[in-house]
Amino acid sequence: MRDVVVLGGGLLGWSAAAALRRKLPALRVTVIPLPPPPDALAERIGSTLPSIVAFHRDIGMSDGDALLRAHCSIRLGTEFEHWNEGLPSYVHTYDRYGQPLGTASFHIHWARQARLGSTPPFDHYSPAAAMARSGRFILPATDPASPFAHFEYGLALDLVAYPRMMRAYAQHLGAIERPGGFKGVRLDGETGFIAALVLDDGQEIEADLFVDCTGPRALLRGALDQDFEDWSRWLPCDRLLLADAAPVAEPSPLDRAIAHGAGWRWVAQSLGRTSHGFAYAASELSDDKAARTLRGHAGIDPQPPIALRQGRRPQPWLRNCVALGDAATMVEPLEWTNLHLAHSAIDRLVAMMPDRDCAAVELWDYNRQCAAETERVRDFLALHYAASHRDEGLWRRMRDTTPPASLAHTMRLFAERGRLPFYEDETFARDSWLAVLLGQGLIPRRIDPLIDAVPPAQSEQGMAAMREGIARLVPSLPTHADFLRNLQRQAAR
Amino acid sequence: MLARRVVIVGGGTAGWMTAAALTRLLPGRCAVHLVESEAIGIVGVGEATLPHIRAFNERLGIDEADFMAATRATFKLGIEFVDWGRIGDSYIHPFGTFGPGGAEVDFHQFWLRLKQQGIAVPDLDLFSMACTMGRMNRFALPSRDSRGLDSTFGYAYQFDATLYAPYLRRIAEEMGAKRTEGRIVTVHRDRETGDVTSVQLESGEKIEGDLFVDCSGFVSLLLDKTLGEPFEDWSKWLLNDRAAAMPCRTAGAVTPYTGVIAMPYGWRWRIPLQHRTGNGYVYSSQFLSDEDAAATLIAAVEGEPIAEPRVLRFKAGRRTRSWVRNCVGIGLASGFLEPLESTSIYLIQAAITALLELFPEKEISPVDRDEFNRLIDLEYDRIRDFLILHYHATERADTPYWDYVRTMQIPDTLAEKMELFRRRGRVVKYREGVFLDASWVAVYLGQRVIPQGHDLRADAPPAESLVAGMRNLAAEIQALAGAMEDHGAYLSRYCPMKDAA
Repeated sequence: MRDVVVLGGGLLGWSAAAALRRKLPALRVTVIPLPPPPDALAERIGSTLPSIVAFHRDIGMSDGDALLRAHCSIRLGTEFEHWNEGLPSYVHTYDRYGQPLGTASFHIHWARQARLGSTPPFDHYSPAAAMARSGRFILPATDPASPFAHFEYGLALDLVAYPRMMRAYAQHLGAIERPGGFKGVRLDGETGFIAALVLDDGQEIEADLFVDCTGPRALLRGALDQDFEDWSRWLPCDRLLLADAAPVAEPSPLDRAIAHGAGWRWVAQSLGRTSHGFAYAASELSDDKAARTLRGHAGIDPQPPIALRQGRRPQPWLRNCVALGDAATMVEPLEWTNLHLAHSAIDRLVAMMPDRDCAAVELWDYNRQCAAETERVRDFLALHYAASHRDEGLWRRMRDTTPPASLAHTMRLFAERGRLPFYEDETFARDSWLAVLLGQGLIPRRIDPLIDAVPPAQSEQGMAAMREGIARLVPSLPTHADFLRNLQRQAAR
Repeated sequence: MLARRVVIVGGGTAGWMTAAALTRLLPGRCAVHLVESEAIGIVGVGEATLPHIRAFNERLGIDEADFMAATRATFKLGIEFVDWGRIGDSYIHPFGTFGPGGAEVDFHQFWLRLKQQGIAVPDLDLFSMACTMGRMNRFALPSRDSRGLDSTFGYAYQFDATLYAPYLRRIAEEMGAKRTEGRIVTVHRDRETGDVTSVQLESGEKIEGDLFVDCSGFVSLLLDKTLGEPFEDWSKWLLNDRAAAMPCRTAGAVTPYTGVIAMPYGWRWRIPLQHRTGNGYVYSSQFLSDEDAAATLIAAVEGEPIAEPRVLRFKAGRRTRSWVRNCVGIGLASGFLEPLESTSIYLIQAAITALLELFPEKEISPVDRDEFNRLIDLEYDRIRDFLILHYHATERADTPYWDYVRTMQIPDTLAEKMELFRRRGRVVKYREGVFLDASWVAVYLGQRVIPQGHDLRADAPPAESLVAGMRNLAAEIQALAGAMEDHGAYLSRYCPMKDAA
């Protein structure tokens, strides 16, 4: 493998180029910087998961670079409101929820206490949730005994500054920019491989491997086949509206995802702006009405609606062309997995880089891993609908739809006795699954006998200590805005 | 909550492991009643174990030295495979990593890269603590500080399985397990539901229960004989259906590893315990008679035989479901895989762990039962492929037996794994599963499945610094192992057996 061409010049194309150059410096990497289309969600959604922090470290970029030079801010999680009418909102953070008591995991104790009477909601046992609700932030403590030692955080990206920084960084690592418009591909008649990419100036760019970062249209990968696995049965939103409003002085590190009769909307505050979005089903709400709804919350007109077709290509990598991001998988931004899936695919591409012949068995392994990962992401998103409780027709339908087999298995096991089955290539940690399952009111029917050894009073004692440990410390933490200002001050010194 | 009446049918290793775990870990949830017949006896050849057993013993509150003394146990750092790829070959499958472990790119990738560049590098064995300690016959417990190389190995035990069951029996009985001696003549079932309601002994005594655990060994009294659960036969890939077992006095070293020596029609184990060495010839009756197997074994063992060879019969495979109605099969009653990689006791443990986690109420939920069966299938299927690899990855052509296994059609799941390794040394990743990357790497390379390429990320560091780093690493491992005590000396200090055989 010598030459790799990346088609697409948004943050994704440049991130892929940077990782390839950094990890496999023997490769020549050329980027054709097509501007990303509006429906490429990995490029459009600024809220990201903690995996972005690992991705930066992996390619040799510090947290400070992203936070300072690209004006990113911190996000600790999401507060889900009205997904289950009659229950309070719940917070999903990337943190531990409680600590094990004895040999059984914490949530079993919580479920027993909840069944016996009252214990505060599950998210009251996540230190990061307490921090996020009060608008505060510190970096994870290095002392493992601190309650604030185990959480992870994502970033809220500035979608103008961030791609710029990534482009500069990839070029610094030796990626070559080749400006031009895309006209088509020339296929090898014998192998069906892409022989060259044809630009609008008539120039042909040959390469051993072509990386497609062109969004849902998948200009390259789509030239080989159009197979698509549709997920709209479980993920009903097929429209998306985005609107950016002015920033607030103290941006919250906690995003809000608010269920609506026709879908859900979100608010994500960051340093440079307050992002509003609305994902909905066109069958339930006209684009005009949806736009009026969002304007009512954001105070400004949203951008034109984006059509969303949720699902994935069964084979993101075929012959010598690999699709990344929305070209491979397209899901609504619920839980902010769009860029995460793209990063994960980049890591996998780097780790599994084959020879020029792109041997079928190596691609099989790559596609198998992608499939396992995206299916569980699909399941996690679909869970929010399957375990919802609202009266509108859309929501009733979602509750009645049989979930994908793997999600049905998870929900069945959990509902029975609070057990979570193990799956390979899981994006969300067990505590994330628990936060959503318990947050949406799915309480196990039985209490696992393994906690018999610990009497309920003893559980409550340990649980009270956890709550107090969190409550005592939170007020002393700096606000999110103070944290960012301190960081800038330190950098200026 | 009423306690469930659990009846365990059979008192070998599986039966008493189950009884001890249930009484110790689910007190108050179940009343355990074990039925065994001393006339039937136990198979008890599974003398070598995997590191997982330590967690099992720990959960039961067992003191290691006490347990080792009682079962006349030795330490086990891995398995030495002799004559597998070719006659004359030897490699150790270690419990632990090659290199320091935990790196983004597996150590063997750098090693492969240098070799493919034509640079001389030491054998991969020399970068493994467990292999090096094994070859030097040394032992020490691994360090708990995960930063050092002396934390990069694990260990298991080689013990007398006929002593493990009585050891666990004491624990189970102390915790309230009831034991009844007798041979079961009738199994009674509910006419409507088909569930098993009781087992009746020769004496006429009836033992009733809510949940029945079938630990009856190959007989499979409940799963097979009573419920007729079908058996999935894997003998087209795993031909061996007999073992001749015979202990002898120890003549060579008490090695901290199990010996597995390929033979013309199967393989032979050598398991050194404190008081004797266990031996056995696992073979295929299609190719070898019992008499010839016994004669070969007698000629091959190193010390004076202590008993006559005893022949065991089996078939590789598993029951379609291990938990059917209110009967859970644990151990040989649910399936059999030859002890090539010491998985017998591991499979018992996996089933017990799953049963503890999915322990039913009075009404057994199909959710629990299905999940149990899914977990057990996963364990069996992964071990199956790993075992088949040992036979298929060979150049041996000295007998029709080896010709068959070398050229047989293997499961697709294994063919894909082997092809991936051949291309660039990639091991299909599972985060869970009994055998992790290093195990697969050891067997592939040990049996001459040589990759054509390597992970391209291994090209990043300059060759000179890699070579120097490897030299230092091998030297450090050598020094650490060299400073350790002799295995035999460690045993006689740490856990000497209480009386001689």
